[in-house]
Amino acid sequence: MIWTGTPKAKGAARFLETRRLLTVVLAGALVWSLTGVDWGGGIIHTGGGNALKEFFLALFPPELSPTFLRLALSASWQTAVHAVAGITLAIIIGLPMGVAASGTLATPGRSRTARFAIPAAVRFVLAFMRSIHELVWAVLFVTAFGLSSLAVVLAIAVPYAGILGRIYSELLNDIPEGPLDSLRSTGASPVRVLLYGRIPMALTDMLSYSFYRFECAIRAAAIMSFVGIRGLGYEIQISLNDLLFSQVWTLLLFLIGIVLLVDYWSTRIRRSLNS
Amino acid sequence: MLEPPLAAPPIVDGIGIAKSFGGLTALAPLDITIAPGERVALAGPSGSGKTTLLYILAGLLAPDNGELFLDSKRIGKMRPGKELAQTVGLVQQQFDLVPHLPVVQNVLAGRLGHWGLLRSLASLFSARERPAVLEALSRLGIADKIDERTSQLSGGEQQRVAIARLMLQSPRIILADEPVSSLDPARAEEILRILTELADGSGQTIIASLHAPDLIRRYFSRVIGLRNGKLRFDIPAPELTPKMLDALYDLDRDPQS
Repeated sequence: MIWTGTPKAKGAARFLETRRLLTVVLAGALVWSLTGVDWGGGIIHTGGGNALKEFFLALFPPELSPTFLRLALSASWQTAVHAVAGITLAIIIGLPMGVAASGTLATPGRSRTARFAIPAAVRFVLAFMRSIHELVWAVLFVTAFGLSSLAVVLAIAVPYAGILGRIYSELLNDIPEGPLDSLRSTGASPVRVLLYGRIPMALTDMLSYSFYRFECAIRAAAIMSFVGIRGLGYEIQISLNDLLFSQVWTLLLFLIGIVLLVDYWSTRIRRSLNS
Repeated sequence: MLEPPLAAPPIVDGIGIAKSFGGLTALAPLDITIAPGERVALAGPSGSGKTTLLYILAGLLAPDNGELFLDSKRIGKMRPGKELAQTVGLVQQQFDLVPHLPVVQNVLAGRLGHWGLLRSLASLFSARERPAVLEALSRLGIADKIDERTSQLSGGEQQRVAIARLMLQSPRIILADEPVSSLDPARAEEILRILTELADGSGQTIIASLHAPDLIRRYFSRVIGLRNGKLRFDIPAPELTPKMLDALYDLDRDPQS
């Protein structure tokens, strides 16, 4: 190929070329990885179709006896309490860490430490917190604190604070500069620009994402049965072991109910913020 | 006041102010002296350095070179926050309020340079100095909007909110970056009238960038023409002729080359 452009144009063309090559390589790797999956082999459960049918038929009707409903209700309550406590703690930890990681509090004149080192260090801690799955945290905390609610709450709060902190820091940075400059011109310090500009403008997105994480926390709280914590997941596991599918359905419906409730709540709050 | 009294020390005194962004010259070394109470219009095509100059005067950008004194104090030596906020304030285009906050909070932002941190935080939940906000808004004719969400207001109304914020800040120099470019002619005229009346009433100095020659002649005492970061003319506003403006905005020809 003959380049007639300026050195700068040549550089840009080379960059595009490299990017295209990279895309092809990555797409190729994806296709190749699909051939690595053993689609046909493995041990197939011949009665699987029937089991599946039986499972779905058990939905009509689910187990609705008062005793069982009482059990499902108390299990739901336990799961919801764990999720609420976990996400609340995650927000309490994640918000200040997100602000610190965003680097928005540093005054331009301040030292490089304040502007770069602190945000980088906080970002590293956040990455560490969220790169470990909540179940692994749960194993660690159960080892430390025993089969207690404290262990579940911490197991949810730590990785979720890592996720929320990172998202908060991005949202706080992604604010149009115009209104912020306007605030600065009134003599507002970075903290005040955060309070009067960044947080109000990012609030809807921050809330929306926190609620989404709350739904995930409910799911996480439910599966804490894997480490032996009581709740909806625990009851589902017992009923499943006894092949009592109609009971499983009742418990699943309660789980879906909680998630829908949170969804409704989040929609209401966002609507009131936007109006 | 076309010819300000020579005895008063200049409110803006800049010598050799220069700024470039990554090799692109935004402001060639520029001298600028403005007397208290003057109403200065900055004219010039996009990219001529008007916004850069206003941002430097507002203390939002530091010049690469040169010295700038506001009210006889070197701008770099002023404490950011209260001292700078009492000296200069900036009105921008309508988008530059915080759209999600109620009007009262956007107006009160004018006090942020004066307030302590706790007061700033508390005021977000229960607005302080509400009577002052109400007074400013009623002078601008939008007192009924005080508790509305700012994004619900029209462009002209939002620009009044920005002016109300400036009234609470009450700086000695009012800077305005194309304050009327997003408004229709009638509203543009009204905003300029309000702004200049306000400044006259309290002896404030106005420096605003705008394009419309008739508005410049009607509301300003002096006009400075900028192009490519260089000063093209600096004359009393009544002497501005259409020919000078045409040359300033000419697409093909650089008027000095």
